[in-house]
Amino acid sequence: MVEAGRSPNIEIITNARLEALEGKPGQFLAKVHQAPRFINEDLCTACGMCTMYCPRPVVDTYNERLDITRAPHIDYAQAIPSSYYIDAKACLRVNYDTCNLCAQTCTAGAIDFSQKPKKLELNVGAVVLAPGFGKVDDEVLEKFGYGKYPDVLTSFEFERLTCASGPTEGHIVRPSDNKPPKKIAFLQCIGSRDETCGNGYCSSVCCMYAIKEASVAKEHEPDLEISIFFMDVRTMGKGFDEARKRAQEKYGINVIRARVPRVDQVDGKLALTWTTPDGEHHSGIFDMVVLSVGLESPEDAEIISKVADIELNHYDFCKTSVDSPLATTRDGVLVAGAFQGPKDIPESVTQASGAAAIASELLSDARNTETITVTFPEENVELEREEPRIGVFVCHCGVNIAGVVDVKAVRDYAGTLPGVVLYEDTLYSCSQDALKSIAEKIKENRLNRVVISACSPRTHEPLFQETLRSIGLNPALVEMANIRDQCAWVHAQEPEAATEKAKDLVRMAVAKARLLEPLDQPTVDVTPSALVLGGGAAGMASALSIADQGFKVVLVEKSKELGGNLKRLTWTLDGQDARKVLKDMVKKIKAHKNIEVLTEAKLESISGYVGNFTSTISRKGKTDMVNHGVMIIATGGREYKPKGYAYGDSPRVLTQLELEEKLSKGKSFLKNARNVVMIQCVGSRGEDMSHCSRLCCTQAVKNALKLKEVKPDLNIFVFYRDMRTYGFYEDLYREARKKGIHFIRYTPEKRPEVIKQARGIKVRAFDPILGDDLEIPASLVVLSTGIAPGENEELSKVVKAPLTSDGFFLEAHAKLRPVEVAVDGVYLCGLAHGPKSLEESIAQAKAAAAKAAIPLAKGKVAVAPIVSRVNQDACIGCGICESLCPFNAIRLEKAGKRKKAQTITASCKGCGICASHCPTLAISMGGFTDEAIMAQIHAFSPEGCKEE
Amino acid sequence: MAQENVSMKENDMAQTGFEPRILGFFCHWCCYAAADSAGVSRYQYPPNVRVVRVMCTGRIDTRFILEAFKCGADGVFTGG
Amino acid sequence: MAKSGSILVLGGGVAGVQTALDLSELGYYVYLVEKNASIGGVMAKLDKTFPTNDCSL
Repeated sequence: MVEAGRSPNIEIITNARLEALEGKPGQFLAKVHQAPRFINEDLCTACGMCTMYCPRPVVDTYNERLDITRAPHIDYAQAIPSSYYIDAKACLRVNYDTCNLCAQTCTAGAIDFSQKPKKLELNVGAVVLAPGFGKVDDEVLEKFGYGKYPDVLTSFEFERLTCASGPTEGHIVRPSDNKPPKKIAFLQCIGSRDETCGNGYCSSVCCMYAIKEASVAKEHEPDLEISIFFMDVRTMGKGFDEARKRAQEKYGINVIRARVPRVDQVDGKLALTWTTPDGEHHSGIFDMVVLSVGLESPEDAEIISKVADIELNHYDFCKTSVDSPLATTRDGVLVAGAFQGPKDIPESVTQASGAAAIASELLSDARNTETITVTFPEENVELEREEPRIGVFVCHCGVNIAGVVDVKAVRDYAGTLPGVVLYEDTLYSCSQDALKSIAEKIKENRLNRVVISACSPRTHEPLFQETLRSIGLNPALVEMANIRDQCAWVHAQEPEAATEKAKDLVRMAVAKARLLEPLDQPTVDVTPSALVLGGGAAGMASALSIADQGFKVVLVEKSKELGGNLKRLTWTLDGQDARKVLKDMVKKIKAHKNIEVLTEAKLESISGYVGNFTSTISRKGKTDMVNHGVMIIATGGREYKPKGYAYGDSPRVLTQLELEEKLSKGKSFLKNARNVVMIQCVGSRGEDMSHCSRLCCTQAVKNALKLKEVKPDLNIFVFYRDMRTYGFYEDLYREARKKGIHFIRYTPEKRPEVIKQARGIKVRAFDPILGDDLEIPASLVVLSTGIAPGENEELSKVVKAPLTSDGFFLEAHAKLRPVEVAVDGVYLCGLAHGPKSLEESIAQAKAAAAKAAIPLAKGKVAVAPIVSRVNQDACIGCGICESLCPFNAIRLEKAGKRKKAQTITASCKGCGICASHCPTLAISMGGFTDEAIMAQIHAFSPEGCKEE
Repeated sequence: MAQENVSMKENDMAQTGFEPRILGFFCHWCCYAAADSAGVSRYQYPPNVRVVRVMCTGRIDTRFILEAFKCGADGVFTGG
Repeated sequence: MAKSGSILVLGGGVAGVQTALDLSELGYYVYLVEKNASIGGVMAKLDKTFPTNDCSL
């Protein structure tokens, strides 16, 4: 998020709404209305004085109305833009022309009541709609006592209660009496799977977030007793089932399968009654009830639909289709995130990248025509070579540092240190005006080393490095002393000791700064092409996207023809002809001038690094070398082959895909059929594979409906554990129930058995409602077999990309980098990543294509300058460094008669393991040389300590 | 992984009011980040550690630790 | 008339911000239009995220 605030090519327009969208793809004119903030973003230092002095209280919507703030405020400390704003509805000055207190207290002069609403007209080539989701109506919540009983909270409110920066600093208390609750109930499906409120869909995220919130609460208060009331436990995301199991075991959360119809208050406590699947009635008393509210379509969905001229679906979410899940009904207008349908963070992030890819396909001719490139003046090498002239800037950070540390004393102490020629204190060193003033002072005093004594280099070093670059100094010549996060904030009660610590940290930073050296900013050229492994739906979609973005693609498929698992699909989940989807894709691939298809081919080995990979592909007994800049893994998965259930013993036992194949050839095989039994979770969720295969529930419902359509008098029984027909697929599930398909829950202890008889087969299973075993003579048994990983293990070794315990490829970060793997320049999509629907595979393929196209579009990859460097004269070629490097970033190469170590800068992460183990001290780390670290250690002693 | 080698025993410290001077080597990606978030959460801890940031604990040469003791450190903390 | 190299992203939540970041890296100029006073959306309000319980910011 911070990156978005810093990018010169992202213009953030807040308090704004889209009013009109005219024109056509490539040439839209967007009209945007922007309301004033009344505080100048460039001048505001985020000191908070205005909030302190404002007499006008307003409820804090950021803290879900659990707290109070004032008319001028900032939503939260790390907000971007990092500027306060005035809530125009509450402000006395705006509404009654009185007060003006804030303007008088603002020392920066940032408050500006003359600001007027702005009308902006923007020329854009494409539009991406990502307005998020809306809130379930209070009316729906009132049925559950919300608003009437103070201890009934929404899950969003509860989230703020468990948060350390929330209104109660993370203490869970009952709003009615501020006492900690002992028993909490979570009620699921509030405003979801509920036709009475118009939301027939499943919100997809509430089951997992309820378990998360319950776990966090148990971590805070281990004695809490928590019960969650589910209809079905829908934790079908990657790794979610496992996390749910862990949470249930570790924290002892009660899972109750029941829908609670209402909440009553009895003696200040909350009373619930419910009925379990065995037909028994129960009741219980709780101290707090949390309503797991669903995701509603955005409040302004209709306005957006009108303004952008796009269609909505019957739930007022954006209308899309399975084969192009990110396209709206208007060309050039795309959609991502919860507006496309309820979804969690990883999927939203994936769709976001996917939408970026489609916009990039559309506008590839116009790439780089409107971006701003920041240029820097040439480096003043002579000044850098002079004796160190150090400037020290000690930051108050408002009261954050100065409230504890004696900033002036630290500043004066810095003046006594060797090499320091300028020492000053600043109110907020990171504010725009302070940065400008620091830059001027560096120039005036001809400084060539700078120490910023403020907050953490992790968050702010790039900002100060940029300041140095802007005035012709190498960015490596700045050092930070962290006297806020690791000093003032953590020693708030000990101002003297904190001041002493701050002095020590400044002394150590100055000692290091004296030895800082300018570092090159290396870049490596990129081979502008991609290698895509796998010719299924995901591989084809990503290959097409990269090719449409203007880059060459080599598509490697192991079998004789393209298509993968899509070849076996007859209907998509939204009823489209899957074969047409496949045919269209294959046609486009074959016709594309940027795509070369290699069938019956296999990746044997890969070497190199992001931007410059060389791969060996074997094909029909021959091997070829391919140079490419990036690679996408889209090798797919396979249908799990069932064990048991008389599969293979009787022709009447099929898998869902086999049923689909039969159905597509006509209905004659159903002629004498009476009973069809489907069994869910065959192989999945702990039977053989531990993961949930995510799509089998919907697939079973889809095929059951198809069977009913071709033969309405069929009796269909579906044995399931949890029906996970998430999102809009819930509609299919409801339709199936309405059409009389029988759904019977089983537990893993009592799985249905398929028994082969002399004539035909029968299924024996326990029916929890009857409380007894059922026997159904079956004309057909259909096994919902789930998805097993493909041949990932071998590929994982070749690429050095790790797998999950389930055998799927592991993404670099579940939420922030869902389509990247740990190896830079290698991306991931489709079933190779985990079980998912066709729609999700295509969205993910587009996302992988966006990420893969980034280095290709840039043409160069920048390398962090903190890499290792080998002094060739001192290196004895022992190879210790090569054997230890975790990134294969240093290797021995022939130099004259001997072998010497050499760093592959593009792969080096700067960890320094090589340097610390080099027996001849031949390896030096950029920014962290032995000398600099030693100087810091010596400066640790206040009296100084010299090497003997 | 976090190792602490403090040369004084705890009860000695309580009796003498001894305040150890500890030098910490913190990995940029984990321990240093954790120390930052301790600050963000306003956790309070004793002000006895001074920090050298490194990009990885693998960067720490034995010489660094020995040098720290030579320069008067009562303890060395490596966090990664 | 040539195509524009700019893109409008409506919504500054996690999806909008990610789209904007990717587009800017792909060589396009982005207008990120947000109805509130700061970007971040709902994700900025979450304390921890599932299943790894990472901090959400």
